[in-house]
Amino acid sequence: MDRLRTSDRAAAEELFSAGYPRLAGWVRRLVDDDDTAHEIAAEAFTRLLGRWSTLDNPQSYLYMIATNLVRDHWRKAGRERRALRAVSAGAPADQVYQPAQDVHVRELLQALPDRLRSPFLLHYYAGFPVRDVAVLLGRPEGTIKADLYHARARLRAALGDTDG
Amino acid sequence: MADPRDDLDAWMNAQVQPLPPPPGTFELIRKRARRRKMTRAAVAAAGAAAVIAVIAVVPRLVITQLQLGPSSSRGAAAGQTSSAGPARSHASTAPATPSAAGSGSPPATALPPAPPNFAATSVTFVGTETGYVLGQAGTPGQCQGPNPDICTSLAGTGDGGRSWHGVSAPVTGAPDGAAGVSQLRFYDTADGWAFGPGLWATHDGGHTWSQVSTGGLRVLALETAGQRVFAVWARCTGTGSAWAAGCTSAGLYSAAPGSDQWSAVPGAGTLSGPGGTSSAALVLAGSRGYLLAPDGLLYRGPAGSAGAWQQVTSSTGSSTGGSPSATASPGATAGAAPCAPGSAQADGQPSAALLAATTADGLVLVCPGTASGGSQPKAVYTSADGGQTWRQAGSAPAAGTATSVAGTTAGTIVLATTDGIEVSQDGGATWAAAHGPLPASGLRYVGMTTPDQGVAVPADAGLHAVWFTRDGGMTWQESAIP
Repeated sequence: MDRLRTSDRAAAEELFSAGYPRLAGWVRRLVDDDDTAHEIAAEAFTRLLGRWSTLDNPQSYLYMIATNLVRDHWRKAGRERRALRAVSAGAPADQVYQPAQDVHVRELLQALPDRLRSPFLLHYYAGFPVRDVAVLLGRPEGTIKADLYHARARLRAALGDTDG
Repeated sequence: MADPRDDLDAWMNAQVQPLPPPPGTFELIRKRARRRKMTRAAVAAAGAAAVIAVIAVVPRLVITQLQLGPSSSRGAAAGQTSSAGPARSHASTAPATPSAAGSGSPPATALPPAPPNFAATSVTFVGTETGYVLGQAGTPGQCQGPNPDICTSLAGTGDGGRSWHGVSAPVTGAPDGAAGVSQLRFYDTADGWAFGPGLWATHDGGHTWSQVSTGGLRVLALETAGQRVFAVWARCTGTGSAWAAGCTSAGLYSAAPGSDQWSAVPGAGTLSGPGGTSSAALVLAGSRGYLLAPDGLLYRGPAGSAGAWQQVTSSTGSSTGGSPSATASPGATAGAAPCAPGSAQADGQPSAALLAATTADGLVLVCPGTASGGSQPKAVYTSADGGQTWRQAGSAPAAGTATSVAGTTAGTIVLATTDGIEVSQDGGATWAAAHGPLPASGLRYVGMTTPDQGVAVPADAGLHAVWFTRDGGMTWQESAIP
């Protein structure tokens, strides 16, 4: 069956070597632990390799997949937290190092609607141009720009509320 | 008070600390990707066999997700009256790990049983062995979940239909006007949709389902391939189980598989039909998509991106012989395909034009006429150039009413009717009735997973089974659920 051609494999391995640590680190700031970050980064690369020959921009595809996987992780983690709260009220929380600022901003990001969160993470956090984000998400550039504006406005308002 | 920008800007501008991969990670993901690609290739061989609306045949390893999801830890006890399996319990306890989802590792625990009295209305296959069916099961009032009257259920198989187990289902009912679901598709281990008329999505392999807003429109058809999912949304007024009736306009919408952000497809977002009834046929053939619009015009576009679709310019003077398309039906729109979709069948598929693909450019269009006395004329047209020219290849047997058609890359055409299954191996010129203990009331859907393997759903959901072929549609065997 289909295998990556030698040249493709070399290119994929090169992208992996160059991109995995940053992607995993990028994800790590959005999740609770290293293991989850590795799982998400590895899954994103797996899906990337599966479509290697059809992608114009593997790097941006990688981050879009990771963004979706992070979102899915948040949803599951939220459910699990709620379930755990129900059965283990009062138990001490896991002692995991979390920079306060990371946790604070991450909670606000989680509260954003998908429509605003994805462009925000891909543009401001992953650094992809608006044009690339528009192609990735299948929306016009103007819409992406508006979503980015609204995402920032919401986040700043939320930060203002909590700081105040 | 601190400037609210401080935290946000600091967070965005903070340096990402690289996290090096554990040893062997690249080899692990390479093997995993290869395994998935093999599964996908098996399905791609079926070409766009799969079809218009009822069921999708989708590649990829979903079975591991089923095993790793909470369903494996929530198990409904055997014999428990449960329509949706354990899935509709919302108490998740098992963390779903993305990497494990595609690892192909063997099941760690026993799978929950499929719910009893499973009345299948749709099937989606993932490779040749793994698939799901959606339907209603159990007894209203005794079904598991937040609302015991809601019995929408999923069952899954990891061995080509030899055995079935319970899988998560969206908490919504059978089709009733604008609400409920009857059809199912999966894109990969994470992303799937239950639809018709409503639209529900899962992005965690069926662990959880959420409703997608369609602005009051009903989803008649949905297919996924490449990096997109496409669906026909329509404005309809039908009530109860006639949810796909009275549709007056339709449009093609799409989204990235991992997102619930749907938007109208440029060039095909608004399609009107004549006479106040409308449906549309959607087929994805590899990297290409086809939409037979309510007015009989054929649109074509990229199946793997959000790019624009365009009307296929038909040629009326085809040199391939037979009946030229634009003159095939009196009163047809100029440049239209040989027949228009007409009103929708009960499951959202067109009743008057059944479309399938054999290759990216090879299309099959069955144009059923008026049914009378248990028979119906069924002209069969084919196109070798993506719908630009059509020729009448022949006629399928008159017995029964046509419900669904599938094609394979081997050129085989498989037609489901209310009388049984007919197979043509010469591009529609001659037909032979399929063998096997087929249901007496016929089939509502047929799809080919590979040139040899296919699956069909009986018109009578009360048979609690689906049918499989492993010889290109010529013989079929029943697979009881559960």
